[in-house]
Amino acid sequence: MTQPVANTAVPQPGPLYRLQQKFASTSVAAKIVAGLLILVAWELGVTFFAPKFVARPTNIIAVFPDVITEPEFIEATLSTLFAVLQGLLIALVSGTIIGIAMGRVKVFDRLLNVYINGFYTMPMIAVLPLLTIWFGYEDSARLATIVFAAFFSIAINARDGARSVPPEYLEVARAYRARQRDVWFDITFMSSLPYLVAGFRLAAGRALVGAVIAEFFVSLPGLGMYILSHTRSFAHNEAVVGVLMLAAFGLLFEATMNGVMRRFFPWYRREDRKD
Amino acid sequence: MSQAASNLVHTVSGTGTSADDPSSAPTRIAISGAGKKYGELQVFKDINLTFGNGEIVTVVGPSGCGKTTLLRCIDGLIPLSEGEVKIEGSPINGPREGVAMVFQHFGLFPWKTVYQNVAYGLKLARHPAAEIKEKVPYFINLVGLSGFETAFPYQLSGGMQQRCGLARALAMEPHVLLMDEPFAAVDAQTREILQFELLKIWELRPLTMVFVTHSIEEAVLMGHRVVVLKGRPSGVHEVIDVDLPAPRDRGTLGHPRFTEVREHVWSTLMDEVRAAEFEV
Repeated sequence: MTQPVANTAVPQPGPLYRLQQKFASTSVAAKIVAGLLILVAWELGVTFFAPKFVARPTNIIAVFPDVITEPEFIEATLSTLFAVLQGLLIALVSGTIIGIAMGRVKVFDRLLNVYINGFYTMPMIAVLPLLTIWFGYEDSARLATIVFAAFFSIAINARDGARSVPPEYLEVARAYRARQRDVWFDITFMSSLPYLVAGFRLAAGRALVGAVIAEFFVSLPGLGMYILSHTRSFAHNEAVVGVLMLAAFGLLFEATMNGVMRRFFPWYRREDRKD
Repeated sequence: MSQAASNLVHTVSGTGTSADDPSSAPTRIAISGAGKKYGELQVFKDINLTFGNGEIVTVVGPSGCGKTTLLRCIDGLIPLSEGEVKIEGSPINGPREGVAMVFQHFGLFPWKTVYQNVAYGLKLARHPAAEIKEKVPYFINLVGLSGFETAFPYQLSGGMQQRCGLARALAMEPHVLLMDEPFAAVDAQTREILQFELLKIWELRPLTMVFVTHSIEEAVLMGHRVVVLKGRPSGVHEVIDVDLPAPRDRGTLGHPRFTEVREHVWSTLMDEVRAAEFEV
Protein backbone atom coordinates (compact mmCIF):
# COMPACT_ATOMS: atom_id res chain seq x y z
CA MET A 1 0.00 0.00 0.00
CA THR A 2 1.13 3.50 -0.66
CA GLN A 3 1.59 5.74 2.31
CA PRO A 4 -1.30 8.20 2.54
CA VAL A 5 1.07 10.56 4.34
CA ALA A 6 2.94 11.23 1.13
CA ASN A 7 -0.12 12.94 -0.36
CA THR A 8 -0.48 15.43 2.44
CA ALA A 9 3.16 16.56 2.38
CA VAL A 10 3.67 20.20 1.59
CA PRO A 11 5.10 20.54 -1.95
CA GLN A 12 8.65 21.84 -1.85
CA PRO A 13 9.18 25.04 -3.84
CA GLY A 14 11.41 24.53 -6.88
CA PRO A 15 14.76 26.25 -7.37
CA LEU A 16 13.25 28.79 -9.78
CA TYR A 17 10.72 29.78 -7.14
CA ARG A 18 13.45 30.19 -4.56
CA LEU A 19 15.51 32.34 -6.91
CA GLN A 20 12.43 34.49 -7.52
CA GLN A 21 11.86 34.90 -3.80
CA LYS A 22 15.45 35.86 -3.21
CA PHE A 23 15.38 38.38 -6.02
CA ALA A 24 12.09 39.89 -4.88
CA SER A 25 13.33 40.30 -1.31
CA THR A 26 16.28 42.48 -2.30
CA SER A 27 13.75 45.07 -3.38
CA VAL A 28 15.71 48.21 -4.23
CA ALA A 29 18.42 46.46 -6.22
CA ALA A 30 15.79 44.36 -7.99
CA LYS A 31 13.81 47.46 -8.94
CA ILE A 32 16.88 49.20 -10.36
CA VAL A 33 17.93 46.14 -12.35
CA ALA A 34 14.42 45.72 -13.75
CA GLY A 35 14.29 49.40 -14.69
CA LEU A 36 17.64 49.27 -16.46
CA LEU A 37 16.61 46.17 -18.38
CA ILE A 38 13.45 47.89 -19.59
CA LEU A 39 15.45 50.95 -20.67
CA VAL A 40 18.02 48.86 -22.54
CA ALA A 41 15.28 46.90 -24.32
CA TRP A 42 13.55 50.15 -25.23
CA GLU A 43 16.75 51.74 -26.52
CA LEU A 44 17.65 48.69 -28.62
CA GLY A 45 14.11 48.23 -29.87
CA VAL A 46 13.86 51.82 -31.10
CA THR A 47 17.37 51.76 -32.61
CA PHE A 48 16.68 48.70 -34.74
CA PHE A 49 12.98 48.70 -35.45
CA ALA A 50 11.47 52.19 -35.12
CA PRO A 51 11.51 55.45 -37.08
CA LYS A 52 13.96 58.14 -35.99
CA PHE A 53 11.44 60.39 -34.25
CA VAL A 54 10.42 57.77 -31.68
CA ALA A 55 11.64 58.72 -28.21
CA ARG A 56 14.44 56.66 -26.73
CA PRO A 57 16.03 56.69 -23.25
CA THR A 58 19.38 58.23 -24.20
CA ASN A 59 17.69 61.12 -26.01
CA ILE A 60 15.22 61.64 -23.18
CA ILE A 61 18.06 61.83 -20.67
CA ALA A 62 19.83 64.30 -22.96
CA VAL A 63 16.85 66.69 -23.14
CA PHE A 64 15.77 66.17 -19.53
CA PRO A 65 17.77 69.00 -17.87
CA ASP A 66 16.70 71.51 -20.51
CA VAL A 67 13.05 70.56 -20.35
CA ILE A 68 12.63 70.70 -16.58
CA THR A 69 14.26 74.14 -16.38
CA GLU A 70 12.29 75.48 -19.32
CA PRO A 71 9.76 78.12 -18.11
CA GLU A 72 7.02 76.73 -20.35
CA PHE A 73 7.40 73.29 -18.81
CA ILE A 74 7.52 74.56 -15.23
CA GLU A 75 4.43 76.64 -15.83
CA ALA A 76 2.63 73.68 -17.37
CA THR A 77 3.58 71.43 -14.45
CA LEU A 78 2.45 73.91 -11.82
CA SER A 79 -0.74 74.65 -13.70
CA THR A 80 -1.75 70.97 -13.84
CA LEU A 81 -0.61 70.28 -10.29
CA PHE A 82 -2.60 73.15 -8.78
CA ALA A 83 -5.69 72.36 -10.81
CA VAL A 84 -5.57 68.72 -9.64
CA LEU A 85 -5.01 69.68 -6.01
CA GLN A 86 -7.77 72.26 -6.10
CA GLY A 87 -10.20 69.87 -7.76
CA LEU A 88 -9.32 67.06 -5.37
CA LEU A 89 -9.86 69.32 -2.38
CA ILE A 90 -13.30 70.36 -3.61
CA ALA A 91 -14.21 66.75 -4.41
CA LEU A 92 -12.86 65.51 -1.08
CA VAL A 93 -14.85 67.94 1.04
CA SER A 94 -18.10 67.72 -0.89
CA GLY A 95 -17.80 63.98 -1.56
CA THR A 96 -17.11 63.17 2.07
CA ILE A 97 -20.00 65.26 3.36
CA ILE A 98 -22.49 63.95 0.82
CA GLY A 99 -21.22 60.37 1.07
CA ILE A 100 -21.38 60.25 4.87
CA ALA A 101 -24.80 61.88 4.82
CA MET A 102 -25.96 59.19 2.38
CA GLY A 103 -24.49 56.49 4.59
CA ARG A 104 -26.16 57.68 7.78
CA VAL A 105 -29.39 59.29 6.58
CA LYS A 106 -31.70 56.96 4.66
CA VAL A 107 -33.49 59.71 2.77
CA PHE A 108 -30.30 61.01 1.15
CA ASP A 109 -29.33 57.52 0.18
CA ARG A 110 -32.69 56.82 -1.46
CA LEU A 111 -32.55 60.11 -3.33
CA LEU A 112 -28.98 60.07 -4.54
CA ASN A 113 -27.65 56.54 -4.68
CA VAL A 114 -28.78 55.74 -8.20
CA TYR A 115 -27.33 58.94 -9.62
CA ILE A 116 -24.04 58.73 -7.77
CA ASN A 117 -23.50 55.17 -8.92
CA GLY A 118 -24.61 56.00 -12.45
CA PHE A 119 -22.25 58.93 -12.80
CA TYR A 120 -19.44 56.95 -11.23
CA THR A 121 -19.55 54.26 -13.88
CA MET A 122 -20.07 56.72 -16.73
CA PRO A 123 -16.84 57.66 -18.55
CA MET A 124 -16.05 61.26 -17.63
CA ILE A 125 -14.79 62.02 -21.11
CA ALA A 126 -18.42 61.83 -22.27
CA VAL A 127 -19.37 64.97 -20.38
CA LEU A 128 -16.24 66.91 -21.26
CA PRO A 129 -17.64 68.51 -24.46
CA LEU A 130 -20.62 69.71 -22.46
CA LEU A 131 -18.46 71.02 -19.64
CA THR A 132 -16.34 73.00 -22.11
CA ILE A 133 -19.43 74.74 -23.43
CA TRP A 134 -20.90 75.33 -19.99
CA PHE A 135 -17.69 76.55 -18.38
CA GLY A 136 -16.00 78.01 -21.47
CA TYR A 137 -12.61 77.10 -22.91
CA GLU A 138 -10.73 78.04 -19.80
CA ASP A 139 -9.42 76.86 -16.43
CA SER A 140 -12.85 76.36 -14.92
CA ALA A 141 -13.75 73.67 -17.49
CA ARG A 142 -10.65 71.72 -16.46
CA LEU A 143 -11.45 72.18 -12.77
CA ALA A 144 -15.01 71.00 -13.35
CA THR A 145 -13.72 67.90 -15.15
CA ILE A 146 -11.35 67.11 -12.29
CA VAL A 147 -14.05 67.53 -9.67
CA PHE A 148 -16.43 65.45 -11.76
CA ALA A 149 -13.80 62.72 -12.13
CA ALA A 150 -12.88 62.64 -8.45
CA PHE A 151 -16.16 63.33 -6.66
CA PHE A 152 -18.03 60.08 -7.23
CA SER A 153 -15.41 57.64 -6.05
CA ILE A 154 -14.97 59.70 -2.89
CA ALA A 155 -18.72 59.93 -2.27
CA ILE A 156 -19.31 56.22 -2.89
CA ASN A 157 -16.53 55.17 -0.54
CA ALA A 158 -17.58 57.65 2.12
CA ARG A 159 -21.11 56.25 1.93
CA ASP A 160 -19.89 52.66 2.28
CA GLY A 161 -17.66 53.68 5.17
CA ALA A 162 -20.46 55.46 7.01
CA ARG A 163 -22.75 52.48 6.51
CA SER A 164 -20.23 50.05 7.92
CA VAL A 165 -19.60 51.80 11.24
CA PRO A 166 -19.52 48.88 13.68
CA PRO A 167 -22.69 48.98 15.82
CA GLU A 168 -20.51 48.42 18.91
CA TYR A 169 -18.96 51.86 18.48
CA LEU A 170 -22.37 53.47 18.23
CA GLU A 171 -23.52 51.56 21.30
CA VAL A 172 -20.55 52.73 23.34
CA ALA A 173 -21.09 56.30 22.17
CA ARG A 174 -24.72 56.08 23.28
CA ALA A 175 -23.86 54.49 26.61
CA TYR A 176 -21.48 57.37 27.30
CA ARG A 177 -24.16 59.81 26.23
CA ALA A 178 -22.44 61.20 23.15
CA ARG A 179 -24.25 64.00 21.39
CA GLN A 180 -25.20 63.58 17.74
CA ARG A 181 -22.37 65.91 16.74
CA ASP A 182 -19.80 63.79 18.56
CA VAL A 183 -21.11 60.66 16.89
CA TRP A 184 -20.76 62.22 13.42
CA PHE A 185 -17.33 63.74 13.78
CA ASP A 186 -15.68 61.28 16.10
CA ILE A 187 -17.27 57.90 15.52
CA THR A 188 -18.70 57.94 12.01
CA PHE A 189 -15.92 59.94 10.41
CA MET A 190 -13.04 58.19 12.14
CA SER A 191 -14.35 54.70 11.58
CA SER A 192 -15.01 55.55 7.89
CA LEU A 193 -11.45 56.71 7.47
CA PRO A 194 -10.09 53.55 5.82
CA TYR A 195 -12.87 53.84 3.23
CA LEU A 196 -12.22 57.53 2.73
CA VAL A 197 -8.55 56.88 2.12
CA ALA A 198 -9.35 54.17 -0.42
CA GLY A 199 -11.79 56.50 -2.19
CA PHE A 200 -9.32 59.35 -2.17
CA ARG A 201 -6.57 57.19 -3.69
CA LEU A 202 -8.91 56.17 -6.47
CA ALA A 203 -10.04 59.76 -6.94
CA ALA A 204 -6.49 61.06 -7.26
CA GLY A 205 -5.80 58.82 -10.24
CA ARG A 206 -9.07 59.75 -11.87
CA ALA A 207 -8.45 63.45 -11.23
CA LEU A 208 -5.12 63.29 -13.01
CA VAL A 209 -6.71 61.60 -15.99
CA GLY A 210 -9.45 64.24 -15.97
CA ALA A 211 -6.93 67.07 -15.92
CA VAL A 212 -4.91 65.72 -18.85
CA ILE A 213 -7.97 65.00 -20.98
CA ALA A 214 -9.40 68.45 -20.27
CA GLU A 215 -6.12 70.02 -21.30
CA PHE A 216 -6.15 68.04 -24.57
CA PHE A 217 -9.62 69.36 -25.27
CA VAL A 218 -9.47 72.87 -23.99
CA SER A 219 -5.83 73.63 -24.89
CA LEU A 220 -4.92 74.92 -21.46
CA PRO A 221 -1.25 75.49 -20.67
CA GLY A 222 -0.83 72.31 -18.64
CA LEU A 223 1.16 69.11 -18.88
CA GLY A 224 -1.48 67.48 -21.07
CA MET A 225 -1.25 70.30 -23.55
CA TYR A 226 2.55 70.26 -23.31
CA ILE A 227 2.59 66.57 -24.17
CA LEU A 228 0.11 67.00 -26.99
CA SER A 229 1.82 69.93 -28.68
CA HIS A 230 5.30 68.42 -28.43
CA THR A 231 4.04 65.15 -29.79
CA ARG A 232 2.48 66.90 -32.77
CA SER A 233 5.67 68.83 -33.46
CA PHE A 234 7.68 65.60 -33.27
CA ALA A 235 9.57 66.63 -30.13
CA HIS A 236 8.81 63.23 -28.67
CA ASN A 237 11.65 63.14 -26.16
CA GLU A 238 10.31 66.32 -24.57
CA ALA A 239 6.79 64.88 -24.57
CA VAL A 240 8.03 61.82 -22.67
CA VAL A 241 9.51 64.07 -19.97
CA GLY A 242 5.99 65.46 -19.56
CA VAL A 243 4.62 61.95 -19.24
CA LEU A 244 7.28 61.10 -16.66
CA MET A 245 6.29 64.18 -14.70
CA LEU A 246 2.70 62.89 -14.53
CA ALA A 247 4.00 59.55 -13.28
CA ALA A 248 6.01 61.43 -10.66
CA PHE A 249 2.77 63.09 -9.49
CA GLY A 250 1.38 59.65 -8.77
CA LEU A 251 4.43 58.58 -6.81
CA LEU A 252 4.50 61.87 -4.94
CA PHE A 253 0.85 61.48 -4.04
CA GLU A 254 1.37 57.96 -2.69
CA ALA A 255 4.39 59.03 -0.65
CA THR A 256 2.52 62.02 0.78
CA MET A 257 -0.50 59.90 1.65
CA ASN A 258 1.65 57.29 3.39
CA GLY A 259 3.49 59.99 5.32
CA VAL A 260 0.28 61.70 6.40
CA MET A 261 -1.30 58.41 7.48
CA ARG A 262 1.73 57.36 9.48
CA ARG A 263 2.02 60.73 11.14
CA PHE A 264 -1.62 61.47 11.92
CA PHE A 265 -3.35 58.07 11.86
CA PRO A 266 -0.81 55.61 13.26
CA TRP A 267 -3.55 53.14 14.15
CA TYR A 268 -4.68 52.87 10.54
CA ARG A 269 -4.24 49.43 8.95
CA ARG A 270 -2.80 48.09 12.16
CA GLU A 271 -5.99 46.53 13.42
CA ASP A 272 -5.66 43.39 11.34
CA ARG A 273 -2.00 42.94 12.13
CA LYS A 274 -2.76 41.56 15.56
CA ASP A 275 -2.35 37.79 15.97
CA MET B 1 -39.57 22.62 40.80
CA SER B 2 -37.57 20.98 43.56
CA GLN B 3 -37.19 23.23 46.53
CA ALA B 4 -35.00 20.95 48.62
CA ALA B 5 -32.02 23.26 48.41
CA SER B 6 -30.21 24.47 51.47
CA ASN B 7 -31.50 27.40 53.50
CA LEU B 8 -29.21 29.87 51.79
CA VAL B 9 -31.30 29.51 48.67
CA HIS B 10 -34.65 31.12 48.41
CA THR B 11 -36.89 31.38 45.47
CA VAL B 12 -38.27 34.72 44.58
CA SER B 13 -41.80 35.04 43.35
CA GLY B 14 -43.77 38.11 42.52
CA THR B 15 -42.60 41.45 43.81
CA GLY B 16 -41.44 41.45 47.41
CA THR B 17 -37.74 40.90 46.90
CA SER B 18 -36.25 43.64 49.00
CA ALA B 19 -37.93 42.52 52.21
CA ASP B 20 -35.63 39.58 52.71
CA ASP B 21 -32.53 41.32 51.38
CA PRO B 22 -29.95 40.62 54.09
CA SER B 23 -27.69 43.50 53.11
CA SER B 24 -30.62 45.84 53.86
CA ALA B 25 -28.67 48.59 52.13
CA PRO B 26 -30.67 51.38 50.50
CA THR B 27 -32.00 50.35 47.13
CA ARG B 28 -29.92 51.53 44.20
CA ILE B 29 -31.73 49.84 41.35
CA ALA B 30 -35.34 48.66 41.33
CA ILE B 31 -36.72 46.60 38.46
CA SER B 32 -40.44 45.99 38.50
CA GLY B 33 -42.56 43.96 36.13
CA ALA B 34 -39.87 44.18 33.47
CA GLY B 35 -40.50 42.44 30.15
CA LYS B 36 -38.96 42.66 26.71
CA LYS B 37 -40.49 41.67 23.41
CA TYR B 38 -38.92 41.63 19.98
CA GLY B 39 -41.99 41.50 17.78
CA GLU B 40 -43.72 38.27 18.73
CA LEU B 41 -40.76 36.94 20.67
CA GLN B 42 -41.00 37.51 24.40
CA VAL B 43 -37.41 37.39 25.68
CA PHE B 44 -38.11 37.81 29.37
CA LYS B 45 -41.10 38.86 31.41
CA ASP B 46 -42.24 39.87 34.85
CA ILE B 47 -38.79 40.43 36.28
CA ASN B 48 -38.73 42.04 39.71
CA LEU B 49 -35.38 42.70 41.32
CA THR B 50 -33.79 45.22 43.61
CA PHE B 51 -30.10 45.84 43.93
CA GLY B 52 -28.68 47.41 47.07
CA ASN B 53 -26.02 50.02 47.50
CA GLY B 54 -22.53 48.63 46.93
CA GLU B 55 -23.81 45.16 46.16
CA ILE B 56 -22.44 42.82 43.52
CA VAL B 57 -25.22 40.90 41.84
CA THR B 58 -24.39 38.40 39.13
CA VAL B 59 -26.89 37.26 36.54
CA VAL B 60 -26.57 33.81 34.99
CA GLY B 61 -28.74 31.93 32.58
CA PRO B 62 -28.55 29.84 29.44
CA SER B 63 -27.53 31.62 26.25
CA GLY B 64 -30.42 33.44 24.68
CA CYS B 65 -32.21 33.95 27.98
CA GLY B 66 -31.95 37.71 27.64
CA LYS B 67 -29.48 38.48 30.41
CA THR B 68 -27.52 40.86 28.21
CA THR B 69 -30.76 42.40 26.96
CA LEU B 70 -31.85 42.95 30.57
CA LEU B 71 -28.55 44.69 31.29
CA ARG B 72 -28.99 46.97 28.28
CA CYS B 73 -32.48 47.79 29.51
CA ILE B 74 -31.07 48.71 32.92
CA ASP B 75 -28.62 51.04 31.20
CA GLY B 76 -31.40 52.48 29.06
CA LEU B 77 -29.69 51.54 25.81
CA ILE B 78 -32.86 49.75 24.76
CA PRO B 79 -36.35 50.31 26.12
CA LEU B 80 -38.33 47.76 28.07
CA SER B 81 -41.60 46.55 26.56
CA GLU B 82 -43.26 46.28 29.95
CA GLY B 83 -42.50 47.45 33.46
CA GLU B 84 -39.80 49.85 34.49
CA VAL B 85 -36.32 50.24 35.86
CA LYS B 86 -35.65 52.86 38.50
CA ILE B 87 -32.18 53.90 39.46
CA GLU B 88 -31.90 56.01 42.59
CA GLY B 89 -35.62 56.49 42.41
CA SER B 90 -35.91 57.89 38.92
CA PRO B 91 -37.16 55.84 35.98
CA ILE B 92 -34.69 55.04 33.21
CA ASN B 93 -35.39 56.08 29.65
CA GLY B 94 -31.87 56.39 28.35
CA PRO B 95 -28.29 56.19 29.54
CA ARG B 96 -27.83 58.45 32.54
CA GLU B 97 -25.13 59.88 34.70
CA GLY B 98 -23.83 57.68 37.49
CA VAL B 99 -24.25 54.47 35.52
CA ALA B 100 -21.42 53.05 33.42
CA MET B 101 -21.16 49.94 31.32
CA VAL B 102 -18.35 47.57 30.43
CA PHE B 103 -18.86 45.62 27.23
CA GLN B 104 -18.02 42.10 26.19
CA HIS B 105 -16.67 43.49 22.92
CA PHE B 106 -14.55 46.02 24.89
CA GLY B 107 -15.88 48.80 22.65
CA LEU B 108 -12.57 50.63 22.51
CA PHE B 109 -12.08 53.06 19.66
CA PRO B 110 -9.09 51.94 17.56
CA TRP B 111 -8.19 55.53 16.65
CA LYS B 112 -7.83 56.55 20.29
CA THR B 113 -4.94 55.77 22.60
CA VAL B 114 -5.49 54.15 25.99
CA TYR B 115 -5.46 57.63 27.52
CA GLN B 116 -7.98 59.01 25.04
CA ASN B 117 -10.25 55.97 25.40
CA VAL B 118 -10.26 56.28 29.19
CA ALA B 119 -10.93 60.02 28.92
CA TYR B 120 -13.79 59.47 26.44
CA GLY B 121 -16.70 59.57 28.88
CA LEU B 122 -15.26 62.42 30.92
CA LYS B 123 -14.75 64.51 27.80
CA LEU B 124 -18.29 63.88 26.60
CA ALA B 125 -19.60 64.86 30.04
CA ARG B 126 -17.58 68.08 29.69
CA HIS B 127 -15.49 67.63 32.79
CA PRO B 128 -12.88 70.38 33.20
CA ALA B 129 -9.55 69.64 31.48
CA ALA B 130 -7.62 69.81 34.75
CA GLU B 131 -9.89 67.22 36.31
CA ILE B 132 -9.54 64.89 33.31
CA LYS B 133 -5.77 65.24 33.48
CA GLU B 134 -5.83 64.18 37.09
CA LYS B 135 -8.38 61.39 36.92
CA VAL B 136 -7.37 59.56 33.75
CA PRO B 137 -3.87 58.58 34.94
CA TYR B 138 -5.32 57.55 38.29
CA PHE B 139 -7.76 55.10 36.73
CA ILE B 140 -5.23 53.87 34.20
CA ASN B 141 -3.00 53.07 37.14
CA LEU B 142 -5.86 51.47 39.07
CA VAL B 143 -6.44 48.90 36.34
CA GLY B 144 -2.71 48.30 35.95
CA LEU B 145 -2.18 49.95 32.57
CA SER B 146 0.42 52.54 33.63
CA GLY B 147 3.02 52.95 30.94
CA PHE B 148 0.52 52.14 28.16
CA GLU B 149 -1.15 55.56 28.03
CA THR B 150 -0.05 56.24 24.46
CA ALA B 151 -0.64 52.70 23.17
CA PHE B 152 -3.42 52.07 20.66
CA PRO B 153 -5.86 49.19 21.23
CA TYR B 154 -4.29 47.11 18.44
CA GLN B 155 -1.08 47.07 20.47
CA LEU B 156 -2.81 45.57 23.53
CA SER B 157 -3.79 42.02 24.41
CA GLY B 158 -7.45 41.21 24.99
CA GLY B 159 -7.00 41.37 28.75
CA MET B 160 -5.33 44.77 28.53
CA GLN B 161 -8.06 46.03 26.24
CA GLN B 162 -10.69 45.11 28.78
CA ARG B 163 -8.65 46.76 31.55
CA CYS B 164 -8.86 49.87 29.42
CA GLY B 165 -12.61 49.41 28.99
CA LEU B 166 -12.95 49.04 32.76
CA ALA B 167 -10.88 52.17 33.40
CA ARG B 168 -13.08 54.11 30.99
CA ALA B 169 -16.17 53.07 32.96
CA LEU B 170 -14.61 53.61 36.40
CA ALA B 171 -13.35 57.06 35.40
CA MET B 172 -16.97 58.19 35.28
CA GLU B 173 -17.04 57.41 39.01
CA PRO B 174 -20.39 55.70 38.65
CA HIS B 175 -22.62 54.48 41.46
CA VAL B 176 -23.68 51.61 39.26
CA LEU B 177 -21.38 49.53 37.10
CA LEU B 178 -23.00 47.27 34.52
CA MET B 179 -20.77 44.46 33.36
CA ASP B 180 -21.84 42.65 30.19
CA GLU B 181 -19.90 39.37 30.15
CA PRO B 182 -16.78 41.48 30.49
CA PHE B 183 -14.29 38.61 30.56
CA ALA B 184 -15.97 36.30 28.05
CA ALA B 185 -13.63 37.30 25.22
CA VAL B 186 -10.49 36.98 27.33
CA ASP B 187 -8.39 33.82 27.66
CA ALA B 188 -8.91 31.62 30.72
CA GLN B 189 -5.83 32.58 32.74
CA THR B 190 -6.22 36.29 32.09
CA ARG B 191 -9.85 35.95 33.02
CA GLU B 192 -8.97 34.64 36.48
CA ILE B 193 -6.48 37.44 37.03
CA LEU B 194 -9.02 40.05 35.98
CA GLN B 195 -11.71 38.58 38.22
CA PHE B 196 -9.56 38.95 41.32
CA GLU B 197 -8.34 42.37 40.30
CA LEU B 198 -11.89 43.52 39.79
CA LEU B 199 -12.77 42.27 43.27
CA LYS B 200 -9.81 44.20 44.68
CA ILE B 201 -10.88 47.35 42.88
CA TRP B 202 -14.38 46.86 44.27
CA GLU B 203 -12.93 46.59 47.80
CA LEU B 204 -11.27 49.96 47.20
CA ARG B 205 -14.30 51.58 45.61
CA PRO B 206 -17.45 49.63 46.50
CA LEU B 207 -20.21 50.34 44.03
CA THR B 208 -23.32 48.56 42.89
CA MET B 209 -22.33 46.09 40.23
CA VAL B 210 -24.61 44.10 37.99
CA PHE B 211 -22.47 41.43 36.42
CA VAL B 212 -23.85 39.32 33.59
CA THR B 213 -21.95 36.14 32.84
CA HIS B 214 -22.50 32.70 31.44
CA SER B 215 -19.84 31.24 33.71
CA ILE B 216 -21.45 29.77 36.82
CA GLU B 217 -18.10 29.72 38.58
CA GLU B 218 -17.58 33.41 37.87
CA ALA B 219 -21.11 34.23 38.99
CA VAL B 220 -20.65 32.51 42.35
CA LEU B 221 -17.15 33.86 42.89
CA MET B 222 -18.04 37.48 42.17
CA GLY B 223 -21.63 37.77 43.33
CA HIS B 224 -23.02 38.58 46.74
CA ARG B 225 -26.20 37.34 45.17
CA VAL B 226 -26.67 35.26 42.06
CA VAL B 227 -29.78 35.80 39.96
CA VAL B 228 -30.67 32.73 37.90
CA LEU B 229 -32.74 33.42 34.81
CA LYS B 230 -34.59 30.49 33.32
CA GLY B 231 -37.58 29.55 31.20
CA ARG B 232 -39.11 30.59 27.89
CA PRO B 233 -39.75 33.50 28.09
CA SER B 234 -37.25 33.69 30.87
CA GLY B 235 -37.90 35.01 34.32
CA VAL B 236 -36.14 35.07 37.65
CA HIS B 237 -35.98 31.45 38.74
CA GLU B 238 -33.97 31.95 41.88
CA VAL B 239 -31.99 34.56 43.75
CA ILE B 240 -29.22 32.92 45.72
CA ASP B 241 -27.38 34.58 48.57
CA VAL B 242 -23.74 33.68 48.38
CA ASP B 243 -22.62 33.98 51.98
CA LEU B 244 -18.94 33.51 51.34
CA PRO B 245 -16.41 35.34 53.51
CA ALA B 246 -15.12 38.67 52.28
CA PRO B 247 -12.74 39.52 50.78
CA ARG B 248 -13.13 37.02 48.00
CA ASP B 249 -9.83 35.78 46.67
CA ARG B 250 -8.27 32.60 45.31
CA GLY B 251 -9.01 30.88 48.62
CA THR B 252 -12.72 31.38 47.97
CA LEU B 253 -12.52 28.88 45.13
CA GLY B 254 -11.57 26.15 47.62
CA HIS B 255 -14.30 27.04 50.12
CA PRO B 256 -16.81 24.19 50.59
CA ARG B 257 -19.66 26.69 50.42
CA PHE B 258 -18.41 27.89 47.04
CA THR B 259 -18.60 24.36 45.66
CA GLU B 260 -22.01 23.87 47.21
CA VAL B 261 -23.52 26.99 45.63
CA ARG B 262 -21.83 26.36 42.30
CA GLU B 263 -23.23 22.83 42.15
CA HIS B 264 -26.65 24.08 43.08
CA VAL B 265 -26.69 26.67 40.31
CA TRP B 266 -25.31 24.15 37.89
CA SER B 267 -28.01 21.58 38.59
CA THR B 268 -30.63 24.30 38.33
CA LEU B 269 -29.45 25.37 34.94
CA MET B 270 -28.33 22.08 33.45
CA ASP B 271 -31.62 21.02 31.88
CA GLU B 272 -32.15 24.42 30.41
CA VAL B 273 -28.60 24.65 29.06
CA ARG B 274 -28.99 21.26 27.40
CA ALA B 275 -32.26 22.34 25.84
CA ALA B 276 -30.76 25.61 24.62
CA GLU B 277 -27.81 23.82 23.06
CA PHE B 278 -29.94 21.67 20.82
CA GLU B 279 -32.37 24.36 19.88
CA VAL B 280 -31.70 26.17 16.65
